[in-house]
Amino acid sequence: MSEAGGPLPTRADVVVVGAGIIGLCTALHLARRGRSVAVLERGEPWGESSGANAGTLSLQVKRAEVLALTRRAIALWTEMQEGLGIACGFARIGGLRVATSERECAALRRVQAELAAHGVETEWHEGAALHALAPWLGPGVRAATLCDWDSMSNPLLVGHGLVAAVRRSGAAVIANAPVCAIEPAGDAWRVGAAGGAVAAGAVVIAAGAWSGALTAMLDVALPLAADVNMLTITEPAPALIDRIVTHVGGILSLKQYPNGTCMIGGGWQGRGDVRSGRREIEHENLVHNLRIAAQVVPALAHLRMVRSWAGFEGVAADALPVFGRLPGRTGIYINACARGGYSQGPALGEQMAELIAAGRTSLDMRPFDPSRFVN
Amino acid sequence: MSTVDVAVDVAVVGAGPAGLAAAAEAAAFGLSVAIVDDNPRPGGQYYRHPPPAFRPAAAAPADKERRRREAAFAVLAHPEVKYLPNATAWNLPEPGVLAIAAGERSGRLAARAIVVAAGAHDRPAAFPGWTLPGVVSAGGMQNLFKSQLIVPGTRAVVAGNGPLLFLIASNLVRAGLRVEALVEAAPIGVRLPAALPLLAWSPRLLGAALSYRAALSRARANVLAGWSVTEAHGNGAVEGVTVAPIDGNGRVDASRARRFACDLLVTGFGLVPSVELPRLAGAVLDYDRRRGGWTVRRDRNLETTVPGLYVVGDGACIGGVDLAEVEGRIAAAAIADRLGPQPGARARRADLLARRARQDRFRRGIELLFAPPGDFLALLTPETVVCRCEDVTFAELEACRAEGAAGAAAIKARTRMTMGRCQGRYCAPTLAQFLARAGGVDVAAVPMPRPRAPARPVVLGDLAHEAIAPPVLPDDPHLPRAPRA
Repeated sequence: MSEAGGPLPTRADVVVVGAGIIGLCTALHLARRGRSVAVLERGEPWGESSGANAGTLSLQVKRAEVLALTRRAIALWTEMQEGLGIACGFARIGGLRVATSERECAALRRVQAELAAHGVETEWHEGAALHALAPWLGPGVRAATLCDWDSMSNPLLVGHGLVAAVRRSGAAVIANAPVCAIEPAGDAWRVGAAGGAVAAGAVVIAAGAWSGALTAMLDVALPLAADVNMLTITEPAPALIDRIVTHVGGILSLKQYPNGTCMIGGGWQGRGDVRSGRREIEHENLVHNLRIAAQVVPALAHLRMVRSWAGFEGVAADALPVFGRLPGRTGIYINACARGGYSQGPALGEQMAELIAAGRTSLDMRPFDPSRFVN
Repeated sequence: MSTVDVAVDVAVVGAGPAGLAAAAEAAAFGLSVAIVDDNPRPGGQYYRHPPPAFRPAAAAPADKERRRREAAFAVLAHPEVKYLPNATAWNLPEPGVLAIAAGERSGRLAARAIVVAAGAHDRPAAFPGWTLPGVVSAGGMQNLFKSQLIVPGTRAVVAGNGPLLFLIASNLVRAGLRVEALVEAAPIGVRLPAALPLLAWSPRLLGAALSYRAALSRARANVLAGWSVTEAHGNGAVEGVTVAPIDGNGRVDASRARRFACDLLVTGFGLVPSVELPRLAGAVLDYDRRRGGWTVRRDRNLETTVPGLYVVGDGACIGGVDLAEVEGRIAAAAIADRLGPQPGARARRADLLARRARQDRFRRGIELLFAPPGDFLALLTPETVVCRCEDVTFAELEACRAEGAAGAAAIKARTRMTMGRCQGRYCAPTLAQFLARAGGVDVAAVPMPRPRAPARPVVLGDLAHEAIAPPVLPDDPHLPRAPRA
């Protein structure tokens, strides 16, 4: 993925800014609709949040507002692996969302009911039945809901495969091309980047945590911030954890890859600053995260941790996707900062391609319209 | 017992020669010291020795070596020195604090100054057959020999680059093995006249070196300088080795290859400083191939660019045991002076610096003699494994390059090279050299991967024992954010 991908084209139907999951999927679907596309990436494609994330594709942890979008995305993940031939390490193995106290059990019941109200059925397991289903869970786990939509992917594989697929589809993916200006040029836009400028009828800002800096170039301020998520990977261990594991409070995500390594994350925050790009582990949060992991799956306590890291995740004030036309800037679109946006990425890309090519989307994307933040 | 809240004047990471010397010097100045070491017994690699239950054998260290070791270990009995074996310093949660993984003793160690004396690890060079049983790294061989008195073979070839090879070969002779050949890649015979005036600054070490050489001559071992191992052969285990001349650009002349039968091949291509902790702390590094590759930038007092963090010995840059010990003392004297001020610390430091300058001349002579010829990438064939943890072959690296994906991130993502259990310790130098060649740049221009905790792999369960504040549970990240104050 380090190749530059050739020089900047002088023009394209659509310029996509950002070569993470959302930008690349947007480009892929636009190219399939016959649009010429240039993806401009400030660093390496897949080099930030998409490459640094856990690869968890969980439906049952999502809020009601994004359930339909996530379900569509999981269908597209399946298609990417099976239809497009992109090796994603995708596996729909189902997920257990665990509760470890009476209070958490009550919260999990409420979540289950809300999911059901939106057409997502999950199975309730507790006590002996739960431990028969998942003997690797610790005794402190009181109950769990099983969601058969929950899946996993391997971000390392996805990045390589997706960049290659986007290029095969005819779109250009240009590395090391930070955008420095987005200016009107007649009835189109001129996107200035290191190495030149591209004239385009439409521009999609899909720059994740860096999107705010781009809308600022257009004098549009959006309430976007960044989480600093931490992840830890262990040494390989015999196959044990056969489900995605999440926690009702969002403080744990856990899975085992086919090579035996276990990936541990959760909502625990590291330290970082998007502007400088610096991000690092917050020691106590990391320790708490790993302790909870070892309580939920005691076998983890015997494994060595090999590597921990932190990555940014762009997030809007209401933690919902920011998707649609940028108000007052005809031809400029934003598709970014969806919390859990890695899992939703394929659907966000598909919907954006529909919006640009057909003027409308097959899913109801109105709740995510950036106009909710403007004026 | 938890080590949490243990606060000392000086935390020393590593109980090898540099760390023990730093501790001894600091204790002599009246400072409180904690030594954290991931080995079960003190001494590091240099003073590694058999457990007490072992009876002295012919191969046991001579009395002189034992006396030196016992003198170095005396500090462990000092009342102001706390020694923590089986303890891994794995992270720096905040300046001046080490997170220690040590089973139930896991916790935190706060110190007014930290001295990292983490030593070095083998620089492996990949060549066909290097993963065969019976092929042992130089460090691994020393480890077996010193701690277990084991020599796993009867006919040996010792090959690679660096002064350690002579010591190992003479140890093998002493242990009764037939040493077929010592194969040194650097043309040391040609370089000796230029190096000799520098080497003469340490008559003791020069004498030792000459005695190794003499032992090999008496044992009728072939000593080939300017030659390299090119392949280890064997069916299930090493049975022989092919060697060939190597020129100053790392090119191998296969037409003059020779083959030796052996059941033990010891290979070492120098040492790499273990710089993981200084990197986690944010210390600046410089590339110096002659001193092991990435080395820690230090001032006269051996303080890094991170205030209060000192790095000494081979863990900063490769210099050998005598230099390591004097460096440990210099750092401790500098710390004593800074925390004190201590009467005598300044004069002591000046004296130590003069000693270091003398030893540095010997070191420069050794470097002149053994400077490696090229990057050893010429030894690789398509089938050669370049990353043992993830079983990556050179052909896979070449395939990445052929597809234009020759960046570190792309290669990692596609092959998992550097992502295995060794944390890249044994494959990152090879990858860096490959990237340098692919990009047509000097290896110093290839950026190191981002530093990541843990500095060494640690058992997850150990973290349960670190006494930290009860968690403030984060909110579910999928929920709306509280408005900012």
